[in-house]
Amino acid sequence: MNTVSIDGLGKRYGATPALDGLDLELGTGVTGFLGPNGAGKTTLLRCLATALAPDRGRLRILGLDPAVPAQRTELRRRIGYLPQNPGLYPQFTAYDLLDYVAVLKELTDGRRRRAEVRRVLDEVDLTDRARTKVRKLSGGMRQRLGLALALLGQPALLILDEPTVGIDPEQRMLFRALISRVGESHTVLLSTHQTEDVGALCERVVVMNAGRAAFDGTPRQLINRADGRVWLSTTAPTGSQPYWRNADGLYRRLGDRPDDGRPAQPTLEDGYLLLLHRSAPARVAR
Amino acid sequence: MSGWHVDEGLLADYDRGTLPPSRVLAVDTHLLACASCREQVRVDPVWLTGNWSVVFDALHEPRSGPLHRFLRRLGLPEHRIRLIAATPALRWSWLGATATVLALAVAAAYLGRGGMQVSNAVLLVVAPVLPVLAVATAYGPPADPMHEITDTTPAAGPALVLWRATTVVTVAVVMGVVAAVLLPGPGWYAVAWLLPALLLSVGTLALSTVIALPAAAGVLGGIWLAGVGTAVTIHRDSSLPLVFGRTAQLGYLFAAMTAVVVLTVRRRRLDPGETR
Ligand SMILES: Nc1ncnc2c1ncn2[C@@H]1O[C@H](COP(=O)(O)OP(=O)(O)OP(=O)(O)O)[C@@H](O)[C@H]1O
Ligand SMILES: [Mg+2]
Ligand SMILES: [Zn+2]
Repeated sequence: MNTVSIDGLGKRYGATPALDGLDLELGTGVTGFLGPNGAGKTTLLRCLATALAPDRGRLRILGLDPAVPAQRTELRRRIGYLPQNPGLYPQFTAYDLLDYVAVLKELTDGRRRRAEVRRVLDEVDLTDRARTKVRKLSGGMRQRLGLALALLGQPALLILDEPTVGIDPEQRMLFRALISRVGESHTVLLSTHQTEDVGALCERVVVMNAGRAAFDGTPRQLINRADGRVWLSTTAPTGSQPYWRNADGLYRRLGDRPDDGRPAQPTLEDGYLLLLHRSAPARVAR
Repeated sequence: MSGWHVDEGLLADYDRGTLPPSRVLAVDTHLLACASCREQVRVDPVWLTGNWSVVFDALHEPRSGPLHRFLRRLGLPEHRIRLIAATPALRWSWLGATATVLALAVAAAYLGRGGMQVSNAVLLVVAPVLPVLAVATAYGPPADPMHEITDTTPAAGPALVLWRATTVVTVAVVMGVVAAVLLPGPGWYAVAWLLPALLLSVGTLALSTVIALPAAAGVLGGIWLAGVGTAVTIHRDSSLPLVFGRTAQLGYLFAAMTAVVVLTVRRRRLDPGETR
């Protein structure tokens, strides 16, 4: 069942089209958004989170239309949003901040609100930092606190803009466990630059480029695009193909087979790079 | 607690989780050390969590400052106070800055012996701008760094904006009245600036449905200062009756009412999720 349908979504900033007629249908489970800087991921997630009104196109989220005020408020009761730069009040403690946002989320009953605050603190492993002021938390802890804010009220749709920035490997594991648990029954949309996160926990991946979806499928399908296109060679390529020299001193090359090329196991990142490499000339031509 | 052991009534309350947090802590400490009392309490996970939550909440309950207590005395519900108290403009730094500006204006009126009217005019002219600055820093970017989170909660929208704006304007106006009462000169000084303040505050909100809030505040605050500055330069001592006289006040009232109408009609645009 589709929980989010996006139809011809457009948003410009001056002359720059941040979203350029985007069409997408998204269901429950975890969907990852990849794409270069400025591709329009944040703009899209802000529109879905009701923080921004698009210039054109239609949205239908959890059966509601965010362009209609009453439905927008209803939608806000059911979404949790972690912005790319959450800007948490530095003078608040973790607990106070959660308590404050819980009030914004209409948890007006004190007892229920405090129970919910305790729950999300525990989810992100910050219970022992509850009395620490935000400005004294480490960057990764702040990020986890932002995630806890999004989780308040058990939203049916969780929208996370680069949630794993600055999080250590152990916490990243906890994060993945948490998100996949939430994703079993709810819809999770997350943007990231970490292709490993997408491979590890997204059923679906959308690659954004210049305000459109350049790819929409499973992580496996994205990897498959690099089948027979990844090589290990003793020589560097001369053209514009992406490549790098690995720890064994071999050149890992993407694209056509070099003369002495041995096939290498493709990764999600290879599929992503090849996809964008191919669509790059088209972008220049426009 | 009787003697060295926890008495039964207390233990029963502890069991039920109805003991006040401070006493829970005391009982906990005793139980840690005393096996015989420990045997009398059932180790029930629900009970354990219940007690732990009470202690946890008591430790973490946000501190309520003087503003908080004052609003509670006014009969506002706890959750509404939480929302108002988090208004960016209500920080000590903002209150301090506002108080300083007003104090300087009052001091100028006393020290600037030359033309008393002109010195007094400083405060009357500056005071209406302070609520405008208050509105500009009451919500939204750039004053509220958390605006993206705030804007996507069900509380977001015109109601929250108006609550916050009203609160900060009230605070700014009260501070302004106190300052104006201290002015040497006729009593009407204390109230002469109120209508301009109302007009500029409501006007800023109304204009913010068209352009960004800081820009709206800048435009209206700028027009006021430029207009009054011109009047003072041209008319010198007779400028006060001109700017704050009966005709002018009627004009402010009329304009403020127009702004209220515009704001009412366009209030939905105060929501950033609304199409412009
Ligand atoms: N508030 C804004 N004002 C002007 N231009 C903006 C604004 N926000 C985004 N843009 C522009 O819109 C385009 C898309 O930006 P967006 O933030 O959506 O990209 P992104 O995919 O999230 O990038 P990143 O990976 O760097 O976070 C960019 O060209 C950006 O410069
Ligand atoms: Mg972004
Ligand atoms: Zn004992």
